[in-house]
This record gives sequence, structure tokens and C-alpha cells, in this order.
Amino acid sequence: MNYHFNWSVLWTGQTGGWLLQGVVTTLQIFALGLLIAIALGIVAGALRTVPLAPLRWLAGGYVEFFRNVPLLVWMFFWYFAMPPLLPQGIQDWLFAHGVEFWAAVCAIGVYHGARFSEVMRAGIQSIPKTQLEAALSTGLTVGQAYRLIIIPIAMRLIIPPATNETVNLLKNSSVALTIGVAELTFQTRQIETYTAKAFEALAAGTIIYLILCLTVASMMAYVERRVAIPGMIAHGQSGAS
Amino acid sequence: MKRSVGFLVLFLLIVSATGLSLAQSTLEKIDKSGVLVIGTRNGSPPFAYINKNNDWVGFSIDLVEQTILPVLNKKLNKQIKLEKKESAPATRIPLLTSNAVDLIAETMTDTQARRDQVDFSLTFFVTGAQFLVRKGSPVKGIESIAGKRIAAQQGSTNAKIIREKVPTAKLVEFQDQPAAFQALSQRQVDAYTNDGIQLAGLRAKAPKPDEWAVAGDFFSYEPYGMAMRKNDSDFRHVVNVGLMDAIASGRYLEIYEKWFGAKGEVPYPLTPENKRFLQLQVVPK
Repeated sequence: MNYHFNWSVLWTGQTGGWLLQGVVTTLQIFALGLLIAIALGIVAGALRTVPLAPLRWLAGGYVEFFRNVPLLVWMFFWYFAMPPLLPQGIQDWLFAHGVEFWAAVCAIGVYHGARFSEVMRAGIQSIPKTQLEAALSTGLTVGQAYRLIIIPIAMRLIIPPATNETVNLLKNSSVALTIGVAELTFQTRQIETYTAKAFEALAAGTIIYLILCLTVASMMAYVERRVAIPGMIAHGQSGAS
Repeated sequence: MKRSVGFLVLFLLIVSATGLSLAQSTLEKIDKSGVLVIGTRNGSPPFAYINKNNDWVGFSIDLVEQTILPVLNKKLNKQIKLEKKESAPATRIPLLTSNAVDLIAETMTDTQARRDQVDFSLTFFVTGAQFLVRKGSPVKGIESIAGKRIAAQQGSTNAKIIREKVPTAKLVEFQDQPAAFQALSQRQVDAYTNDGIQLAGLRAKAPKPDEWAVAGDFFSYEPYGMAMRKNDSDFRHVVNVGLMDAIASGRYLEIYEKWFGAKGEVPYPLTPENKRFLQLQVVPK
């Protein structure tokens, strides 16, 4: 290969600062997007299992609509189609405060919320129906039973698939570069532009994503161990049931 | 942590393995496969774009097809087929170095930084950066963009210059021209900067060309060249001979007229200085 590797481009001049800015922006999109996604996911996931048909339909509609359209399309929707629908004052404020970033956060949060809600639903439905019936028979309302019994158990059950979704969300934040958000992938391309060192820039991006994702995964594994209720949820290692 | 080190080693192995695979020159590769693969754009009229009839055409593509290919055919003594692949600013150098394409023929500015990685043909077009704005816009050139939202194409040299010269301008960088123009027509940004000729092309292709204006003097120098893998002078010579023969014989001017003439896709007359500059690059036979 007629290519001369020069890894020092990654830390000489401004490039190191760009990578760092990219990581910060990626983490910001990740954190805000995850908040929206989890909130929407819990609500929609729970609503899909309640014994009230209209609420189930509403949540089902949200899930099917948002998860079945590509994220890229949602990115363009929130950036190009959404602002013109807002009042002029809000539009001006958004344009002055990084509309790209907020469009990306909305796109990722709402899209992944739909996916999270399916994970949540699977968690809730894996809890025996008798659990809910037992909760209701103690005098709790449906809302209380969900808030105090069902969702806390379901949240523990879904940690492995939720880790998947969380890591996916982190990686999908790179789609934001299509609407001009200067996140990590964007910055690696920026480095390529300035230095013509594409392989070094891509390798740096790859390794940073790998580190971020491994960190998220190990944090989730830690949370899983910490919040486990002894004797309640079966673990392969413990053999408890 | 052990796992991540493993991944890293694997990754580096893949990268270095691709380095061992190449021992043949570009001419040998083309001779063997019978195909010249070029990387080009599909949304940069009139250099390389998909036209109304869904054909992939343009000035840069014509130059390859009508001036370089004949020289290549003669050199290798067989009919070489042309294959087009999509390339973008961020992918064009990797496309070359990974052997996926043999020649980048689009709107790539020849720069010193890029010459560290690839070799360029002689300059086949000269332009400079300007702004595309709505008619009557307060943006009149690089002197009036402070605090304004300016769209640019990521990977272009123009964005780099704005960042250095007018750091107060709010730069929004898009991956391709259609997205940047969409942002401009939706008023997400106040102006879109790119090479003047590309803006003229974009304006000519816009649904209502009269709504738009190309503003300002050139604030950069953008000589377009065709890029090739480094240290492959035989192939580079073929490309340059093709371009030089075309400039000397007038074939270049015919192709120029087809795309940039009064009846062309984007009327953009060749200035006497630029014509002289092109002719001066032609060395004697």
C-alpha cells in the first residue's frame, strides 16, 4: 500500500483538541439522547402492557412509527422539517443556539425511545401475571403496582438488552454528522481534511468508540450486579431461582 | 481491558495486511482487469452529477472518457472500460490507497497537504471560493459574514479558510452539496460557501435560479487536479499526456464549451488568463 502512516497528526496542532471536542459532543448527545430514550421507553413500554386498550394503541403507534423509519430520515426530519413548524421566536432562538445539536438529540432520543420501549415491554411481560395480580390484591392501584412493583423488577431484568441499546445509541450518535453536528466521527473527518491522513483519523475514531462502548458496557454490568435482588432474579452463576 | 487490547491488535493486523497485498503498478492493474475505475461525485454539476435522464455525466467524467482513456487504450493496446464509483471528500484518499479506485476525477483541489498522500495530474480547472446567497442577502463576501450562519461542505478547503479568517462566523458543515443547499433554502443558514463554479452549477440546477446569487470575490485559490496513488509515475504520465494532448489540440476547449459555454449546463466563459495558464502547462512532445 502506497501510504505513509504518520500517527503524530493525531496530537500535533489542533487535532488533539478536535478529537476531544468531538468526544465531548458525542457524550453530550449520548447523555441527553439516553435520558429522552429511557424516559420515553419506560412510559411507552409500560403503556403497551396496561389493561387499557387506547393507551396500548397509543404506545404501539409511537413504537411502530418511530422504529420503522431509518434514523437518518429522522435526523433530516428534526433538522429540516421541524424548525419551520415552530413559531418565529423559537426558531430564532434555536438558530442562535445550535439547532443541529438539539435536532440530533431529539432524533436519537425519540428513535431509541421506541426501541427501548420494546426492551421494556419484553421485561414487563417476562414477569408472571400473578405478580401484578398479587400487587393489585394488596390494594394498590394499577399505576402504583407498575411504579412500585412491576417496573423496578422489569428494569433489573432488561439490563443486558438495554446495554445493547445503550451502546447502539452511543454509536448511532455519529449519524448526527449528516446535519453538521461536530461530534466524534465529524472530527475524524475534519482531521482527514486538514492533514489528508484518513487512516490515522479513522483508526483514532474507531479506538475511541471502542473505549467508550466498553466503558458503557462495563458500567452497565456493574449496575446489574449492584442492583440485583438476591433470590429474586435467576443468575446463571448463582443458580438461585 | 484485555479484550480491548485484543481488538486493537486485530485491527492493526487488518490494516497492515492490506499493506502487503500490493506490488503491482496501476497500469499493470488496469491491463489485467481491463477496467479503469474512477472515483467521482454524483451531486456536483457540471463536473460530475446524475442528470435528468439518470445518466452519470459531467465535465470531469468527459475529460477522463475522451482524453485520458484513448491514451490509455493506445498505451496498453486494448480497449479499457471505464467504471465509475462514488467518492466524497472524506473517502477519496482512502479509496485510492485501498486500490478501490485508480483515479479521482471530480472537483478535488490540489493542495500541498494532499500531495503528501496522493499525486495530482496537472491542473484542469481553476476556481475560488465564493458564497451562494438569497438575492438581496446582506452577505456580500467574506468581509460580511461575521456572526452569520455559513454552510460549507465538510472536507472542503473553503471551510478551513473561513475558520481561520473569520472565526466569529458560525460554520455548519454538511457532508454533501444537496444537504447544504437544503439548509440554505430552508433559511437554516445565511449563506453557503463552496468553489464559485460549483455554486454557479448549483444555482443553474436550482428550481428557481433567479432567487439565488453567487456573491463575493474569490477568497481562495482552488486548482482542480485528478488524484492518483503516490509514486506511480507511469500512470500519472498517461493521465497528464491525455490532458495535455486535449489542451494542445483544442479538444479540451470543445469539452469546456459543451459544459461551460453559452449553451452549456453552467455558462462560465474561460478567461484569457486561465486559458493561457492551461496552455502553459503543456510541455512539448
